[in-house]
Amino acid sequence: MKLAGNDILIQSLINEDVEYIFGYPGGAALHIYDAIFKQNKMEHILVRHEQGATHAADGYARATGKPGVVLVTSGPGATNAITGIATAFMDSIPMVVISGQVAKHLIGTDAFQETDMIGISRPIVKHSFTVESAENIPEIVKQAFYIATSGRPGPVVIDVPKDTTAPDKLFEFNYPNKVNIRSYSPPIDPEKNQIERAVEAIISSEKPVIYAGGGAINSNASSELIKLNEILDFPVTNTLMGLGVYPATDPRFLGMLGMHGTYQANMAMHNADLIIAIGARFDDRITNTPKLFAPNAKIIHFDVDHSSVSKIIEANIAVFGQVKNSLNEIIKLCELKKEMINTKKISSWKNQIEEWKKSHGLNHDMYLENSDDSTIMPQAVVQHVYNITKGKAFVTSDVGQHQMFAAQYYHFDEPRKWINSGGLGTMGFGLPSAMGVKLAFPNDEVVCITGEGSIQMCIQELSTCTQYNLPIKIININNEALGMVKQWQDMNYGGRHSESTYQSSLPNFIELVESYGHVGIKIEKNSDLKSQLERAFSLKDKLVFVDVYVDPDEHVYPMLVAPNGSLKDMWLDKETKT
Amino acid sequence: MIQRKVSIILENKPGALVRVVGLFHQRGYNIESLHVDPVNDLTEYKYVEKNLNIKLKKGEVSHLIISTTVNDNLLRQILRQINKLIDVLIAEEVK
Ligand SMILES: Cc1ncc(C[n+]2csc(CCOP(=O)(O)OP(=O)(O)O)c2C)c(N)n1
Ligand SMILES: [Mg+2]
Repeated sequence: MKLAGNDILIQSLINEDVEYIFGYPGGAALHIYDAIFKQNKMEHILVRHEQGATHAADGYARATGKPGVVLVTSGPGATNAITGIATAFMDSIPMVVISGQVAKHLIGTDAFQETDMIGISRPIVKHSFTVESAENIPEIVKQAFYIATSGRPGPVVIDVPKDTTAPDKLFEFNYPNKVNIRSYSPPIDPEKNQIERAVEAIISSEKPVIYAGGGAINSNASSELIKLNEILDFPVTNTLMGLGVYPATDPRFLGMLGMHGTYQANMAMHNADLIIAIGARFDDRITNTPKLFAPNAKIIHFDVDHSSVSKIIEANIAVFGQVKNSLNEIIKLCELKKEMINTKKISSWKNQIEEWKKSHGLNHDMYLENSDDSTIMPQAVVQHVYNITKGKAFVTSDVGQHQMFAAQYYHFDEPRKWINSGGLGTMGFGLPSAMGVKLAFPNDEVVCITGEGSIQMCIQELSTCTQYNLPIKIININNEALGMVKQWQDMNYGGRHSESTYQSSLPNFIELVESYGHVGIKIEKNSDLKSQLERAFSLKDKLVFVDVYVDPDEHVYPMLVAPNGSLKDMWLDKETKT
Repeated sequence: MIQRKVSIILENKPGALVRVVGLFHQRGYNIESLHVDPVNDLTEYKYVEKNLNIKLKKGEVSHLIISTTVNDNLLRQILRQINKLIDVLIAEEVK
């Protein structure tokens, strides 16, 4: 079959089973857009800003495990996509971004809308390609999808000079069915002796903790992790990125760890004699001061990425491979040796953890305790949302206090349900990522828990939701401030709120969302909270924006003491430090 | 800390070299010297073919040598980061 470059590109994507492509047109991408017009296998979602396209593709990828696909034009289209690419990169999310480029003969001449996309995106992509000729497109697309989805996933950029997609030059189209990149072979199966060493460490431990992160979700290793812990019966904590990979309602679950982790999770990590890290990378929000981190713990680290192991915390035993495969191997060996696990010692360790939980664990019944005339507590909002959605919703979030409250109080029992920008911490992520999730799962409840600061960073996507009829539920936890910034200013800058409030300049969100054709519900009284939230969720086929005014002075706790603190050093409330 | 030499065999493609050099800067490592040549005489590079089980052609890969002053842990980290780059075939310390 002979096709032009623009059709070759689109056919290649169809060959990769792409169902949605998120994008925004412009000069350098117009040949490609014409090819999109002529087919009906793949749906293009027209966003309102290229950042929205990348986050929507990212949300789709996180929820489905399939790569998200983005198409933008050159110059400003490409640079607008950068924040979303960096967001996906930091959280190891598979994504393929196709950027239009000026024609080859114009490259380097400062042509209209020319920008060095390969150069600008280099530090935030797993890899990138420039198309030299239409003939190379199938091979490049094949490699791009393979690189984006294998090993430690990540975004891949394909920069496409306009002349390589010209409709008037035809080439033979053959889509390769195999891919082989000789310089790239991510580990798959673990080495046997590492598994043996890991099991030795497991059976000699007395104070073990399993610490699982986003890598376990990327590797689809949730059921393996659950199976492993049916044998081990160890306490488990998850990172912000890992929430849901181990069921939050399992009694062995300690909650999230780290900066705003639970008291019991942080204490268990600090006092452990064995930490089993599974697809987690000892980020600074987890370790606090690295040299004070878990002073008595041996570390077993399961990861697919060599460069993540012993980067910050030295691992005693490193198990390289797809986390799923590695867990399957260790399950077999643990099954044989499970009698040797020190259940007696571990049982007193668990009692100790239970004591910690009783003394300073989170209050998950806050919503029951507030009287009708008290100010609305942000935690209670999340607790109601959890109850109303029966813990089954996809929840996307933005960045700030509301994000931490969502992570602490919505209990995720399944992976890929909690969608948030953990690594880059990108405000503006919540709404567009929810669109990607809703497109992938139209029959599921999709909730975006956001703040009045974050939502305004991509609020233009309300229009996209109208165009494609995406009835997501937006819960705007409105504290009339950049709450997380304000909290830091309260704690570290003598309460000087430098540029963290808006001086009564917030829009009327209800009128705003109504102008897009959506439903707005304003909640100001605690007595209305439950019933109005229920009403919002009862409007099944409407996008509902719930603007709920919460206590503006509330802080997120626990909070690690920094700098120079360890994981046992936490603020428990405004007055109390451990 | 002493000065180390890192030897990198990478695809001789546009943009491959700058990924390695860029990585040093991104990760906060300093480059003290840098030398790069296309590999035309393959006799000394049989180990690459053997390790990766591939056949190289003349001029297809480049040999890059970078010196940098780092401790053992950081050197290991640098090598792992470089090896992760898709266009890099082998990165190792020159002993
Ligand atoms: C794009 C971007 N800019 C700045 C920040 C820094 N930042 C982190 S949290 C925050 C405040 C967020 O305010 P809001 O969305 O209202 O959430 P709240 O903390 O009030 O719940 C800011 C400015 C960021 N994370 N992302
Ligand atoms: Mg706010």
